[in-house]
Amino acid sequence: MEAHALEHHHGPPEAHRSSRVDARTLGMLLFIISEVMIFGAFFTAYFFIRVVGGAEWPAEGTELPKLIAGVNTAILISSSLTMHWALESVKSDNRWGLRAGMLTTFLLGATFLFVQINEYVHIGFSPQDHAQGTIFYGLTGLHGAHVFVGLTLLAMVTVRAFRGHFSSQMHMGVEVPGIYWHFVDIMWVIVFTTVYIL
Amino acid sequence: MINPLRSEREAFRVLVYVLAVAAFVIAVVVLIRAL
Repeated sequence: MEAHALEHHHGPPEAHRSSRVDARTLGMLLFIISEVMIFGAFFTAYFFIRVVGGAEWPAEGTELPKLIAGVNTAILISSSLTMHWALESVKSDNRWGLRAGMLTTFLLGATFLFVQINEYVHIGFSPQDHAQGTIFYGLTGLHGAHVFVGLTLLAMVTVRAFRGHFSSQMHMGVEVPGIYWHFVDIMWVIVFTTVYIL
Repeated sequence: MINPLRSEREAFRVLVYVLAVAAFVIAVVVLIRAL
């Protein structure tokens, strides 16, 4: 049932439906809550070895490429800006803006993932070398997996945008992946700050 | 009240807030290390 229909509906909601939240948004809400718990487990491991274990960060003889990661952070944040632009465009029936925004978002996300993989190749340590390496690859890899899932969603939205599936009246297919993409970016800002800066 | 899971617009606003907090934390860390 569409959100606007829910607003004008009187009486109890349909079976298995919330009267206040659209089912698709609710599904994403529950998914993101479970994702926050997964990231929480990884951050617990990170703070455990640094605070409780008192381990040196990064491990002795290793260095994290802060500058490259910072540039990569800017790339990912830019992709959130273009995602927001795409959705605002479709809300005003600007299909060119939607298509350009979605395509740019996808390309920026793919660039982020490419740079991340390139960083793994050149960083000079592996997950089995030490606990710091395990946590580094665990946290950034977990986030990278989310970027991959996000890119898959963005690819589908982009194809649908070019086929003219969205309008100012029907854009939930852009809105929900947009929420997910911003969540992925928020998690990266936290991962970047804790892993590379602190 | 902001609910980042209600709409993309609010999720984007939360991202901006998180960025502001992260920028502040990074500035403090850089400042402390420089002293």
